[in-house]
Amino acid sequence: MIELFDVTKRFGSEVAVDGISLRVETGELCALVGTSGCGKSTTLSMINRLIEHDGGEIHLDGQPVRSFDEVALRRRIGYVIQSTGLFPHWTVARNIGLVPRLLKWPKGRVRERVEELMQLLGLPVAEFADKYPRQLSGGQAQRVGVARALAADPDILLMDEPFGALDPITRETLQHELRELQARLHKTIVFVTHDMDEALALADRLVVMHQGRIVQQGKPIALLHDPVNPFVESLLGGMDRGLKEAALIQVGERMLPLGPRLLASERIAYGASLSQALSVMLWHQVDRLTVVDEEDIPIGELSLRRLLGAKAS
Amino acid sequence: MGEGRVSPNWVVLSLMLACLAAWLILDAVSVAPNRIVPGSAYAALEIMSGWPALLLTAPMLAVVVLAWRPDQQRLKLALATTVLLLALLPLWLSAATAVLVEPSMPQARVGIGPSLWLLLFLLLLVLIELRTRLALSRSMGWCLLLPMIVSWWLSLALWLEPLALQREYQARSAQFTSALTMHLVLVGAAVAASLVLAALLALAMRRHAGIRRAGFGVLNFLQTIPSLALFGLLLAPLAWLGTHVDWLAAIGVSGIGWAPAFLALLGYSLLPMVRNIHVALEEVDPAVIESARGMGMSRRQVFLQVRLPLALPIVIEGIRITTVQAIGLTAVAALIGAGGLGTFIFQGLGQAAMDMVLLGALPIIVMALFADALFGSLSERLRQGGTA
Amino acid sequence: MKPGSLLARHVAPVPTSRRWLVPMAWFILLLMLSAGMGQLEWLFRLVEPDVREVIYRRAGFFALLGQHVMVVGVASLLAVLLGVGGAIAVTRPAGRDFLPLVSQLASIGQTFPPVAVLALAVPALGFGTLPIVVALLLYGLLPIVRNTLAGIDGIDPDVHEAARGMGMTAGEVLRQVELPLAAPVIIAGIRTSVTVNIATAALGATVGASNLGDPIIAGIVNGNTAYIVQGALLIGLLAITVDSVFERLQPASQA
Repeated sequence: MIELFDVTKRFGSEVAVDGISLRVETGELCALVGTSGCGKSTTLSMINRLIEHDGGEIHLDGQPVRSFDEVALRRRIGYVIQSTGLFPHWTVARNIGLVPRLLKWPKGRVRERVEELMQLLGLPVAEFADKYPRQLSGGQAQRVGVARALAADPDILLMDEPFGALDPITRETLQHELRELQARLHKTIVFVTHDMDEALALADRLVVMHQGRIVQQGKPIALLHDPVNPFVESLLGGMDRGLKEAALIQVGERMLPLGPRLLASERIAYGASLSQALSVMLWHQVDRLTVVDEEDIPIGELSLRRLLGAKAS
Repeated sequence: MGEGRVSPNWVVLSLMLACLAAWLILDAVSVAPNRIVPGSAYAALEIMSGWPALLLTAPMLAVVVLAWRPDQQRLKLALATTVLLLALLPLWLSAATAVLVEPSMPQARVGIGPSLWLLLFLLLLVLIELRTRLALSRSMGWCLLLPMIVSWWLSLALWLEPLALQREYQARSAQFTSALTMHLVLVGAAVAASLVLAALLALAMRRHAGIRRAGFGVLNFLQTIPSLALFGLLLAPLAWLGTHVDWLAAIGVSGIGWAPAFLALLGYSLLPMVRNIHVALEEVDPAVIESARGMGMSRRQVFLQVRLPLALPIVIEGIRITTVQAIGLTAVAALIGAGGLGTFIFQGLGQAAMDMVLLGALPIIVMALFADALFGSLSERLRQGGTA
Repeated sequence: MKPGSLLARHVAPVPTSRRWLVPMAWFILLLMLSAGMGQLEWLFRLVEPDVREVIYRRAGFFALLGQHVMVVGVASLLAVLLGVGGAIAVTRPAGRDFLPLVSQLASIGQTFPPVAVLALAVPALGFGTLPIVVALLLYGLLPIVRNTLAGIDGIDPDVHEAARGMGMTAGEVLRQVELPLAAPVIIAGIRTSVTVNIATAALGATVGASNLGDPIIAGIVNGNTAYIVQGALLIGLLAITVDSVFERLQPASQA
């Protein structure tokens, strides 16, 4: 659990973070969103004390971060940044094994852990272990970055725009993988991004920052429904908010079990989002879709009315 | 930080404290009755202990105080004080000379002691530091030296006749002028010739990869051979040419003299020059060239209006490196009888006449610094114009 | 970026034995020439048929070579220790105040001609070996300081941030990240420093040190070209040997 109480940071006369309070529960993924310069990266860096806070308190599991040795503190917190920051003179395997080696794990255990992580992140050991960072694509490099952060099995993971420099397709793949990873590992993650779609897709809790302050926080759906001011509203997509919310809801949640009626001609997967369903309807100019499971077996149906009506309820 | 209390500028503080220590402890001036007898040395306070000593001590203390809690205003004040101190040094030396040298000693020679040399060096460091902190321009930095230069010039002209360096100069002013001229001519000729040759070589290298590899190989190899060795190795073949080829002998080619010096200088100058011209021509952004072509510029127009202006700053950077290097190497060439200011250095070393060594070495350093500053700012200016 | 060629560089370096072949060859040539200069009397007789003595005999070539290597070695070793150490010191948080001054000083200092530095050391320190060592040390410092600063400064700030963020101590960052990444640039600086120092040390013969510059100076003074050629050959060979060692030592730039 990470708690921030009235935390402030000044750079000279400029106030970068202005008295923010925040609580990230254990196992929760909290996304800090905002335009550049809003203080979200500074907030992140204050948690592992790369930047020291000027006022207020930051607690990890009830203990102030200042009470830890800063080096020991960072070794138990995973850290991922946009440019990966992989050491160019080290191989992939050595990069991933960095923190375990700093913690003086025995050699054999480090190697096992590295191989385990490479497997976990879809990096075949034989192919990648001895490659150097510059021989990797952006997506591969960021996988190595995530593996490196997870190496010593930290409870907390700080991610600073980790997918910001990737192309849209790779970014989406990695977001998907992160979601699956999180479902398995249940880390406490603070995730900084300026991409609202990414934040909506990943976050359990969404924190919108502006000019060093928290403007609004809560569950993504709650924010979509009830933005506190025009700034948050525009950040959430303005008129596109409906589609963004629809993207968060699965077809399965809204479908009707298969009734006596005839099957509709177009199909949609059970796990697809309402926005995808809407898109299919628009494309084929139909108002009814057959919902299928993973094996493409019809299990229900979704009508336009249910799709819309769900929102009103 | 940032809230009223500023931390001290440790750099200026420690440099100034070193200045104070040097000023109060080390010998500032030595006086000898003539050129042969070794002189006796005096610390600053031994010469004039009253207000003249305070005249320099007080500004130093002032800078220390200013550097303790520096803000923009105080740093500017400290800068002004440092400039003042630099200008005061020759005046103090003049006063000390007047006190120490009696009219009955017409041959007396005043030497500058370690205290003053160190002071000069440390104060210049303070100047550089303050200039950087205050983010003053390069030309402003040179202007800051003007008071000091004027003060030295004035002191030398009016009061510092007994200064050993001055006496050494007066004894051989004609020789000095010709040595200086020779030095400049050799450097100028070598740099100019290498510029032309290097341009041709670089153009040939652009055409043929073979020439590029071989050329850089030879020039790199040449650069690793120590200058003294290269000068020496050129002696024999040129001596042979001088005695066996009449027209070469007629223009003064011989084993000793300007010919081997010029050739060696040319050889050393070629590498930096070729490298820079080559880089300058190669590294113009291909997108710029492509767009120039795309706009319908002819090959000639592309070269003259795009490639050349973009390359010029890098070429001038090459001229800067080459010139600074040649100024130093020409000093070595004095050993093979090429003349130049190195003559004084090596003669002085031979006779253990240190003031003569200084007479050769100081102008060489000034020349090198001047050439560096001149070409450096020229290339900077062109670069700004090029990117604007 | 051609990943293939990069891969080749890392996976299949030239075998060690073959890599050192060239420097070894130069070194052996240098030793053979130092030892057997007397055997070449007939050759130098061709250069200078008229003088009485064609082989420099005031001191053995081995002794001169030893002196030369000694002076340059001591000065360079001290220059590396002080230069790299100093540059590291001013890039730490505690010494950062001094960084602008030191880096400007290092670049201004390089415009000072080495001869002038040597010449100025003599009035300050007298004749003999000491002023040469000091002059070489001072002059040799500059490229080392400058390159070390450039090398450390050239490291991607994100790599630095990641290293700290992973929980490396300042010492671990320095040893495992900064120094290895800056190594190619630092070694290039040391190479420049040593090469220039070998040349400048030869001039030490004019201020009373005895080294490979001696035969050259003696030859110039006495008009004996054979002496000059002998000194010049050995200095040239020494310079080339050392330079080729550094060429092999210099790892491919990682940046």
